This record gives sequence, C-alpha cells and structure tokens, in this order.
Amino acid sequence: MSEALKELGDHIVQAQTGVVSKTEIRLGELMLETTPDKVIALLTYLRDDPKCLFKQLIDICGVDWPEREKRFDVVYNLLSLKNNQRIRLKLMTDETTPVPSAATVYSSAGWFEREAYDLYGVWFSDHPDLRRILTDYGFEGHPLRKDFPLTGFVELRWDDVQKRVIYEPVKLAQEFRRFDFLSPWEGAPRVLPGDEKAQEKAAAPAPAPAKAS
Amino acid sequence: MGVITPAKPGTAAEAALSRALNDELADKGFVVAQLDKLVTWARTGSMWGLTFGLACCGVEMIHCWMSRYDLDRFGFAPMPSPRAADVMIVAGTLTNKMAPALRKVYDQMAEPRYVISMGSCANGGGYYHYSYSVVRGCDRIVPVDVYVPGCPPTAEALLYGVLQLQKKVRRTGTLVR
Amino acid sequence: MSDVEIKTMTMNFGPQHPAAHGVLRLVVEMDGEIVERCDPHIGLLHRGTEKLIEYKTYLQAVPYFDRLDYVSPMNQEHAYALAVEKLLGIEAPERGQYIRVLFSEVTRILNHLLNVTTFAMDVGALTPPLWGFEQRELLMEYYEQVSGSRMHAAYFRPGGVHQDLPDGMLDSMEGWIKQFYPFMKDVENLLNDNRIFRQRTVDIGIVSAEQALDWGFSGPLIRASGIPWDLRKSQPYDVYDRMDFDIPLGKTGDCFARYLVRIEEMYQSVRIMEQCIAALRKVGGPVRVDDRKISPPRRGEMKDSMEALIHHFKLYTEGYKVPAGETYTAVEAPKGEFGVYLVSDGTNKPYRCKIRAPGFPHLQALDMMTRGHQLADMSANIGSLDIVFGEIDR
Repeated sequence: MSEALKELGDHIVQAQTGVVSKTEIRLGELMLETTPDKVIALLTYLRDDPKCLFKQLIDICGVDWPEREKRFDVVYNLLSLKNNQRIRLKLMTDETTPVPSAATVYSSAGWFEREAYDLYGVWFSDHPDLRRILTDYGFEGHPLRKDFPLTGFVELRWDDVQKRVIYEPVKLAQEFRRFDFLSPWEGAPRVLPGDEKAQEKAAAPAPAPAKAS
Repeated sequence: MGVITPAKPGTAAEAALSRALNDELADKGFVVAQLDKLVTWARTGSMWGLTFGLACCGVEMIHCWMSRYDLDRFGFAPMPSPRAADVMIVAGTLTNKMAPALRKVYDQMAEPRYVISMGSCANGGGYYHYSYSVVRGCDRIVPVDVYVPGCPPTAEALLYGVLQLQKKVRRTGTLVR
Repeated sequence: MSDVEIKTMTMNFGPQHPAAHGVLRLVVEMDGEIVERCDPHIGLLHRGTEKLIEYKTYLQAVPYFDRLDYVSPMNQEHAYALAVEKLLGIEAPERGQYIRVLFSEVTRILNHLLNVTTFAMDVGALTPPLWGFEQRELLMEYYEQVSGSRMHAAYFRPGGVHQDLPDGMLDSMEGWIKQFYPFMKDVENLLNDNRIFRQRTVDIGIVSAEQALDWGFSGPLIRASGIPWDLRKSQPYDVYDRMDFDIPLGKTGDCFARYLVRIEEMYQSVRIMEQCIAALRKVGGPVRVDDRKISPPRRGEMKDSMEALIHHFKLYTEGYKVPAGETYTAVEAPKGEFGVYLVSDGTNKPYRCKIRAPGFPHLQALDMMTRGHQLADMSANIGSLDIVFGEIDR
C-alpha cells in the first residue's frame, strides 16, 4: 500500500518539478506541499494525469497555526475513484496573500472556499462568489482563528422597546471552565523555580531496575 | 344546579352527570358554564402546533406526531403555517442567524399563542451554550410557556410537555389569552 | 416590435418551510414557474461545532458527532472513532468491530427510512411516513437498550464501543428483521408503480456521471448516476471486508433512481445485519481495546482497585493524549462520504477537527440540478438530495 503511494508521490514530483516542495507519507496517507501560485497547475495535473486521475475534490479546509508567519494552512483532500487513492495537498498562506480559487478545476470547490474564507479569512482570488456562508449576515471576524474567543464578541436578544433583535456584548452567566489538565508531572515545558537541577538529571539515563533474583 | 365538576368516563358518576345535564337541557333549554372554562376547553382541545423544527429535536418532534405517540389524538394537529397555528414548538438550536426569522414567525401567529421550548438548546443554549453563534435560549427572543428538558427530549417527554401546556392553559387561561 | 424586458422574480423559500428539511433558506429567481437560478443560504444552524471541539478532550468531543447528522447519529461517531484510532495506532477488538458494523447498518436503515418516507411526504404521499416512523421507533429501541438514549448515543468511542450488547438483543433483532420485509414490500407497493410518484420523480434532477464527479457527489447520489463507488467495498473499515453484500446502481441519475437506490440499500443493510448477528453469536471477547491508558475500566473494577481508580480519574479528567499527526478518515455514511480531518498536536485536545459532511457539496449542486425545472420540483430535488442541516452547517 505504501509502496504504491511512494511511487505515486515520486511520479508527481518528477512530473511537476518545482511545483511540489515536499512530500510525506504518514499513517498510510500521502501529503504534498506546494505554494499558492502553483496550486492550480498542480490540481489540474492531478485531475487529468492518467496515473493520478483525482477526479473528486473531497474537501478544502484551513488550519490556523498562529505562531507561524504564514499562519494558515489550506488543505485540499482529493480522491481518485479509478485508482482508489487519496491524496492531500497543503499550502501555507497568511491573512493578506490570496490563493487562486480551485473553482475552475473542480466545481465543488466553490462552497468549500467560501467556508475557508468565512471561518479563517483566507482570500481566494477569481472565486465566482466569495461571501460569508456559515456565520451570521454582517458577522465581524473570522471565528475559527485561534485568537477569536470561543464565545465570540456579540450576542443576540430581542428588544421589546426597539422591536427588533439587537446585538450586545457577550455576558455569560457562568464562564466557560477551561481546565488545563496537562499534568505538571509529565513533560512540563516550564521549569519550576528551584527545580533547575531536574533538567540535568533527566539527561542521564535512568538506572536499570534491579533484577529479582 | 350547582357547579358541575368533570367525572371520569365510564363510571357511574359520569352516567349520573350526563343524565343530569340532559334533564337540565330538557327542562330549561340551556346550560350555564363558566366562560373561562368553556374557552379553555375549546382552546386546549384543538391546539395546532407550528412545526418549528430546527435541529435534532425536530426529529423527535416528528416522532411525537407519528403512529406511536400520536399527538393528533389530543387535537394537536401539525400546522406548517404560523398564521393558523396556536403553539410554536421551538425544537433545536437557535442560532444568531436564525433568530430574526424566529421572531418574525412568532409575530405572524395570532393571539392566543403559546411557545413550547423543546430541548436543552432551546431552553438555554444547551450543548452549544458557549458557542459564538448560538442564542442562549430561545426565551431571549420569544416568551416561553413550557420548557421541555432533554437532549433530545424523548417523544414521550414532549407529549408530557404538551399536556402540561394544556394544564397551564386551563389553569391560567382567560377569554383574552 | 420593441424588445420586451423580462425580469425574473426573486422569491424567498424558507427558512421555516415544511419541505425545507430543516433550516434552509433558498433565494430563488423564477421566470414564471420555471426556476432560473437558486442560491441556498445556509448557516442558519451553524453552532460552532468545530471551534467547540477544539476546547474539549477527545472523549468529550464524541457527542458532537451525534448531533451532526441527527438522523443517522452513529455513522458520524464511527468516522471520528476511526480517525482517533488511526492517530493512536490502535484497533478495536473484533467483537467491537462487529457491533459497530451492525449498528452502522441499523443507522443506515434509520436514515433511509426517514429520507424515503419524508421524500414521499414532500411529493404528496402521506402514509409512508406513518409506517416508516414506527419502524424507526423499533430501531431506536435498540439504540436505547444499548446506550441509554434513543437518538444521540455516544456509543462508538475511540477504542471500540462503550459497552456490550444486552442479552436477548440479537434474538429481538432477528424478530425485527422478519417483520421488516413485509413492511418494505408494503412501501414499495405504494410508491414504486404509483403514477403520481413517478410523474413527480422520474426525469427530475438528472445528474450525469461527469457532473456527479465534478460536484463532489458521494453515496447514493453517485451510485444513482451510474458510478459504482462505495467506501465499504473500496476502502473497507472495521469488518466490512468480511461482509457479503451488493451495491445497488442506478441508470438514469434522476430522483426516482436515487429513491430506488436507497430502497435497495435498505435490503442490503438487512443482509449485513443478518451476517453480523450470526457472527456476534460466535465471536466473544472485549468490545473495546484493553489498553487502560485509552479505555476506562469497568465501574465495578474501578471501585475495587486503586490502579483502576487512577486510570478512571485520569481518563475522565485529562483524557488520553493522542500523538501529533493528522489524518483524513472517511466512512460510507448513509448520505455519502462523511470524513473527519483530524489534526493533533500531541495534547489531550484536538488541534483542528474539520468535518467533511456529504450534504455540503450536494446542496451546492442544487443550483445545477434545479435549473429549468419548476418550483414544485425543487422540493423533490431537496428531498432526494437527503439534506440534513446539522451536518451542513455544523
């Protein structure tokens, strides 16, 4: 299984030199990495090449890695029915770099890209109809970004005086309780004061348990 | 004749009651009843429910109307149009985007109108209480009469909620509402 | 003669509408009775599931999947359980896999019953829902026996299923299967050769094979357009590779073909159920993986043993840590290909969980399907697409 994947990965990299910057096979899944300006060429190649034939675009989604400079990952999942193969395509972008829309290659890309725009703010150029799809009309912000709070900024209620629904800043009766359960005993990233020597001890190999005689 | 209290069907008391009513009718030609009780009897006997199924609770609401828990036998017919419905069952999560539509539909209903909030999402935001796009309870948008808890409430629980609403109407109903 | 300017009328369909199958707002541009263009507005049930999942542990995220496609809850849980198991590198034990396949097929029948009967109701037949929902009630009784809840079971968990089947359930299911065949015959007698039903569904919403591929169709829709693709056969998961069943294929790609495909799928699901029941009588063993770092101990054990208590505590507070990585796992849900793209960063909470619902691309194609049809065909098309807003809007 992974042999076939490796072959496919090599074939694609050879055919599309300079387009694919990295390939990786993990957990039996092939992943390619590319850049926004080359993605349309790569998608067209993946759809039409006789060895690939990835005729179906299954999913386009975004992932937010805020520590990175290019914080958004746009991930394309493709499926080839003829070869019974799946492949993943990734590209990195930030809030201001547009990504060319895949709607010209696959018709199903339209709404997926609208969703990525709505939830992350990734701009897709040449999209036939880029507007908000899931969030409220006139919603401000991009909810799935890591810096957007879970409860949002505004909430809704009906006002009997103004006779319409109004937006007010969020006031929760009980705060969302976040428990940081990552145990302090295992792999704590910060060193507790007075515990500096523990780092040195960890470097030395643990003594082997005494054999029961 | 004094105040008539309802009697269980099939018992001797009921037979005596209907004989008394018939005699009264034959004798005077009319019977007297409390206006409020008459009005609430008419209202609760035929409360048409607006099917406002939003999410998963909507499926349980449909189950309540189907063969096993038949709401129809209580006079509670499904009525898709708000103009002709008495009760609105808000079944499912109310989101910010949907809230104006909910209020509009509620305003289109004619008085007397009642609201049953079904499921924990409609009661107070429920499983999605902390989400950015969910209204924390449909009572922020419409006034609610009966809250049915559950996630989803079983069809039987909704049936119980409907019967509770009937009891509430009988208890607090007047000619105006 | 001067040119007459014809303006199309824009009409709003929904969001509160009996045939809208949930909260769908369609802005339809009409030229008389013919639909020129339709623009679905979704997001009226957008509850922020993916954002909420990022704040919960892996076990706490399981019930969110029930509430996505709420007419077939366990199939969604199945996809999530498989995705997490892939990242963890574990596999559910054999008995657990058979139970999962059994309940996946029960859920498939639940879904198709609702879809076929409410589709019939949308085009005018009012009797099939009343019969079909009684069958659903009988199946929901099994859900309740095995998990405690009629609808949202939280039964398939990463590692297997939560607890074993109660005694007597397999016999009860065999009894149910026996009475299901006459019920299906009744429904088919009512609908298959019914002149009104055929007039309203044949040649409506025709989707060719190329269009189906291009628009990302999957499940019964792509099979009705003639492409033999079923994830249970091509990329089998759990014990589907040991099951013997057929895949119905449609020829014309219209609403009637989709309806027939779903009816036949119900028969095939019953076949799989029979095989699972026979296997479950023989296969014993645990129903969830034995690793105490993933699967909590039984309650009795927890009250006796110290280690079991500690495991129980750690698992229900912190939860298990999943190694960093990402995966896209898909199952053949009754509506199509339901996939979960799970990104883990090594902690006890998912970093990103994208839910790929089959209804999302299907609804997108509604515009393409309904052009040139009349307004009444709109509700037939929506019904045959099998749209449920819980999964589209999440």
